[in-house]
Amino acid sequence: MVSKKVILLGHFGVGKTSLIRYFVYQRFSEEYLTTLGVKIDKKVVQVNGQEVAMLIWDIAGEENQQKVPASYKLGAHGAIYVFDVTRPSSYANLADEISHLQKLLPTIPIVLAGNKTDLLSQDALAEFDNRFKDRQAIFTSAKTGANVEEMFYSLARQMLS
Amino acid sequence: MNNTGPKSKASDGKSPSLEQLQALLLAEERHKLAILREEVKRLDQELHTKEKLAVRVDPIVEDHLQRLHQNFPKLFGPVITDTIRYQIKNAQNEMVDALYPIIGKLIRKYIAREIEMLSERVDRQLEKAFSWEGWKRRIKAWFTGSKTSDVVMQGLAEPVIEEIFLIEQESGMLYGSYSRTKSIDQDMIAGMLTAIKSFVADAFKKGEQDLESIEYESYHIIFRNFKTYYLAVVVSGVITAAFKDQLEATILNFADKLRKNAMQKEQGGEDVFSTQLEQFFGQAVDGK
Repeated sequence: MVSKKVILLGHFGVGKTSLIRYFVYQRFSEEYLTTLGVKIDKKVVQVNGQEVAMLIWDIAGEENQQKVPASYKLGAHGAIYVFDVTRPSSYANLADEISHLQKLLPTIPIVLAGNKTDLLSQDALAEFDNRFKDRQAIFTSAKTGANVEEMFYSLARQMLS
Repeated sequence: MNNTGPKSKASDGKSPSLEQLQALLLAEERHKLAILREEVKRLDQELHTKEKLAVRVDPIVEDHLQRLHQNFPKLFGPVITDTIRYQIKNAQNEMVDALYPIIGKLIRKYIAREIEMLSERVDRQLEKAFSWEGWKRRIKAWFTGSKTSDVVMQGLAEPVIEEIFLIEQESGMLYGSYSRTKSIDQDMIAGMLTAIKSFVADAFKKGEQDLESIEYESYHIIFRNFKTYYLAVVVSGVITAAFKDQLEATILNFADKLRKNAMQKEQGGEDVFSTQLEQFFGQAVDGK
């Protein structure tokens, strides 16, 4: 079994912890997130016949990713940047945030996730899909579970390739 | 140039009388030339025959080596000093990793000697005590054949290594672990310990300093940091100087072995590291 460190980043309240809550069954208390600014959960998945232990670092939300301690992100094998599709401020500086992350971790795969799609109409979702087509964003809902597993598995596959 | 002697007119176009005249006038030069040819041939052989060349060159080389040996500190001392200074300045982590086990052992030896002396002084003081407890200790020590100070120490809760984690510095990924009772997921503990270390480092921003221990009631987590990894040792009970000394020695030996083998995770994997941790710390973990 291989182990991979995955970091979840994004503004406060975009649903990072909820996505993990949906995906992961082995979890630490969420109190650590408020005290330490980070909480680590684990899920073992099967990808291409290989077992992968995903150590998911849920990093407390910051408006500016540069404020997040770099030490939490170092050594990551993959990252998920989460934004809230109902809150434009959470994706207004997306390019800068991703660019900052790519500078710090130039070789890792980064998955872009637009969360809370359950609050959007089909038309609005289609519009989002079109808008973020180039960035290959995955649109999720931690409430309904839509695309949550697909998002983590997609990253797992990219980390192994 | 042809110097092999008189030739016929048909062969080189010169008359016999001219040949004779040349022989008379150039006889001496021809003789010298022949000698020089022989000398050049001999030198050429010497130059291209290892044994013959060695006879000539070895004394010179040996003489130079002898002089170099005598004057080495004077000639190269400043260069070596500058190189070491440069290396220490620019590759501190590598230097620390290489020197830590050696320096650590020296310091440990010195401290162990000091502790021994302190223990003897304490022992002398206890011998003087006339309390009931003092008498009890002395009687026990007399029956067991041990020092009174050791009996005092044994009365306290014995330290036991509960768990050991070998963790990658940057990512917090677990290289290997050894535990008496695997209660919580080891990977998650490794990650959280790394997060705590990072949090302390970020919060206090004390340069290159690292978190060395965490204490909660009778539990202690001792961290020992190396360049690419760190060890987190969870100990229950009261940590005595002797136990700490023994633990430090084991950690140093473990680090030394890792350094000598230049082990990478790719080479071994988690199982190999866990086995090594068990080999080094197993006895202490099992409390034997």
